[in-house]
Amino acid sequence: MIDRIWTIATNTVREAIRSKLLYVLLGFAILVILSGIVVGSLSYVESARILQDVGLAAIRISGVAIAIFVGVSLIHAEVDRRTIYTILAKPISRGEFLLGKFLGLVMTTWLQMTVMVVFFVAVSLLTGAPVTLTHGAAILLICVELTLMVAIATFFSAFTTPMLATFFSIGVWVVGCLTRNLRDLGAVSDVDSVRLTTVWLHRILPDLASFNLSIEAVHGLPISAADVWLPLVYGVGYAAIVLVGAMAIFERRDFR
Amino acid sequence: MRERSEGRGRLRAAILCAALVLTGVAHSAMDTSSPADTGKGFVPPAAQARLSSLGFHAAVADYYWLMAVEFIGSRFIVENEDALRAGELIDLVTTLDPWVGHPYRFAAMWLTESAEAVVASNRLLRRAIAYHPNDWRNRHYLGFNYFYYLGENLKAARVIEAAIQLPGAPRYLAGLVGKLRTDEDGLETTAAFLHQLVEVTEDEYAKASYLQAVDEVDTERRARLLDKARDVYRKQHGRDITSVRDLVEGPRSVLRELPPPHPFQDGLEWIIDPETGQIVSSFYGARYAPYLKEHRREKRERWRVEARAWES
Repeated sequence: MIDRIWTIATNTVREAIRSKLLYVLLGFAILVILSGIVVGSLSYVESARILQDVGLAAIRISGVAIAIFVGVSLIHAEVDRRTIYTILAKPISRGEFLLGKFLGLVMTTWLQMTVMVVFFVAVSLLTGAPVTLTHGAAILLICVELTLMVAIATFFSAFTTPMLATFFSIGVWVVGCLTRNLRDLGAVSDVDSVRLTTVWLHRILPDLASFNLSIEAVHGLPISAADVWLPLVYGVGYAAIVLVGAMAIFERRDFR
Repeated sequence: MRERSEGRGRLRAAILCAALVLTGVAHSAMDTSSPADTGKGFVPPAAQARLSSLGFHAAVADYYWLMAVEFIGSRFIVENEDALRAGELIDLVTTLDPWVGHPYRFAAMWLTESAEAVVASNRLLRRAIAYHPNDWRNRHYLGFNYFYYLGENLKAARVIEAAIQLPGAPRYLAGLVGKLRTDEDGLETTAAFLHQLVEVTEDEYAKASYLQAVDEVDTERRARLLDKARDVYRKQHGRDITSVRDLVEGPRSVLRELPPPHPFQDGLEWIIDPETGQIVSSFYGARYAPYLKEHRREKRERWRVEARAWES
């Protein structure tokens, strides 16, 4: 089973790295990371901090864009080219196929992350900005966030068109960034149902703010091990739940 | 065929020219002034900015910080209104990313033109102290605001006192706290405070500077004795002294001898400061109190009342 999933995953990586969109987004991210030098120099103080703020923001936004835009078309491309019939005719289950696609895209996003991080570290070191273990923790959690976003994009691409899957994925990402704010806003409401709804929205929807350690990294603030491993477990667990849902839907999907 | 294609080319060129002219005219007629100039929607509410930044708080904070720098930098003279707007921007910056360092002091540097501005500055500096408890500079700025702009010397002393032992704090802070305390707590409390510092400080240079401040307090104590003697002289003679020696010379002198103008330095004398009319030691040239010009004293009395209204 692992061999079959691995074959699909490596093929997905090969297919994804041929995508022009991927290089456009990667190029954009690198440009923004480099532009951090110029943006930082506009401030007469704390240039290093600004450079790293911009760099980490670029890594995160580009990573999410790659995860969503490349992720949503994965299944659709196979259906569109009718290659899915050939693949599913072989001894491979639909669940394994979906898992392989997911793993392939995760590997692709991590590959892109590696390139962006190399540029980020190089620019930081060249300009004298410190790079610490907390930066590593922040980048690790961005990777977890991207994994979760790939799972969400895979989930939507399992049953709908790329256009709709893009809208849904972006929607989940935006709301996921805001669930804590929603909960806090609901907490001050006088209406019990609003308070309860926002609390449950925060519990059910992905709490993407928990993967954000950028401020801690840039300011060199102390973080505990729990600040890293709890979001790590949460992200992996959430992605697993989403994938199980995606597999359940994909197995019932009619491709005719 | 060729004529038709040439005609099409001419038409395209004409459309291009017309579009260029129309675009240029429309753009030049537009109101392209920056929000900073008009003030409309210049600074969004912090809660709104937090929501719309989608977790990119630090990068959005940087954007508003650069906007604040550009806003102040583009002004030849920074009026009170400008400073207040910059203060709002820094409030936003520090709400999005409260761990920033310099923006707090940037605001404190510019928010000085009115009691309202100083109150805003103090609010930001208190936030700075909460997030950077080991940075002496924020406490120093806050203490300075209390003393210089609002005449709240005791508050200033308390704020700066907490900065004395922080890393990098300059040694003069202890002396400043001492001076700020003399008005309300009296010389004895100041002396006790300085003696305590001498006892707990391990840095020999700092200890020396505290001991110098103790000498200054000693001298001030003697100067105050001379002030009392001067009052007695005025009552007895119906006129003021022309020199400090008048207190000990003549048949109706009020003192047997003058106290030393410094605890251990020789060759010094007591003089009357021509500017203030006060009796001062020639070693220090001024009395033991924070220096403040007269017009600032008047202003800060007014601002103190206004600031309380703003704070409430």
